[in-house]
Amino acid sequence: MSADPHADRILAEVAGMLAEIVGEELLIAAEITPDSGFDDDLALESIEFVALAGRLQERYGDRVDFIAFLADLEIEEIMAMTVGRLVEHIAACTRAEAVGGAGR
Amino acid sequence: MSEVHANGLRFHVQRLSPPADRPILRTPVVFLHGLVLDNLSSFYYTLAAPVARAGAEVVLYDQRGHGRTERPRDGYDPGSSVADLVALLDACGVATPVHLVGNSFGGLIALRVARSRPDLVASLVLIEGQCLDVAADTEPYAGGWVEEMANTLNLAALGLAAHPGPERLPAGPARKAARLRAGADALLNGTTLIEDVTLPCAPTEAELAEVTCPVLALYGELSELAPSARRLAEVLPQCTLTVLPGVAHTVLREATAPVLAALLDWLPRHEPVAVRPGAGR
Repeated sequence: MSADPHADRILAEVAGMLAEIVGEELLIAAEITPDSGFDDDLALESIEFVALAGRLQERYGDRVDFIAFLADLEIEEIMAMTVGRLVEHIAACTRAEAVGGAGR
Repeated sequence: MSEVHANGLRFHVQRLSPPADRPILRTPVVFLHGLVLDNLSSFYYTLAAPVARAGAEVVLYDQRGHGRTERPRDGYDPGSSVADLVALLDACGVATPVHLVGNSFGGLIALRVARSRPDLVASLVLIEGQCLDVAADTEPYAGGWVEEMANTLNLAALGLAAHPGPERLPAGPARKAARLRAGADALLNGTTLIEDVTLPCAPTEAELAEVTCPVLALYGELSELAPSARRLAEVLPQCTLTVLPGVAHTVLREATAPVLAALLDWLPRHEPVAVRPGAGR
């Protein structure tokens, strides 16, 4: 993913939000990579993931349809997700819009 | 806007809006979670997104002391929880009656709102909602769910106090369990929650008869609340009871699909009447 500046920017934003949500007790933003699992590596509580999704919704608005994204996943799938998968989803939604909004 | 100030507290609120191209259900849906280990995430990951996708505005919040909402020392009694909800709806600008979906203790609060503020409620959906204090024949003691809940909470509080957790939260996978533990300890041993929720608690049959809105009651066949639910359906003026086979109190988690199906069937049938599609909003 490092060859993709658009996704890198989103990764940095997601990492920054996670640090704000979880606080300094655990996270150093630099340690969050696309391969980090929300559950396995970051030990994120489910309510903390909710807070992340809420911030991302505020940040990206209707460009990223988190409702549809989450409605299609079981909670186990959501928590087993990697940061990279979430970033890819946001990047795909926002990139489609950037080139003319042909998506969805 | 995930932080909302209401009734003197900072609440964690999440709102989901329906997609622009869906038929709009005009009545917002507000979710009320259960006690201590619960928070809005149990609805967020199960019912909330599909309900929003079906066309309803969704409001979820962490109740006082739970999840990411502030944890004051007192005010955990059902009356204060109703005041929290009323203030929160006002702060969120929700000005129409809502469907209240309550899980476990959230159902008890929903029943109380329907009785004390019927103007705010279009319908109730109780998922294993605590209601009448009817003892189950199979229990070894005379009390109903109030006594059982008091016993469970007091036992948990003693256990948490007797075995303190680490001073600093561990990193990695142990962190989550430690956080859960610390949250439960703070709530059970650092606030008035136990006395607030167990002393005054269960509604009487006469009080429940005052709940005039339609109620969908979803209970587990194996739940200790099953006898309460059967009596509830007899006492409430408008109650549809569905007993879900093979599950106990954890209906929301273990029978998510049938609960969701029942909810999605219920909501459009309990909209305000005589409104042209698309005329609202």
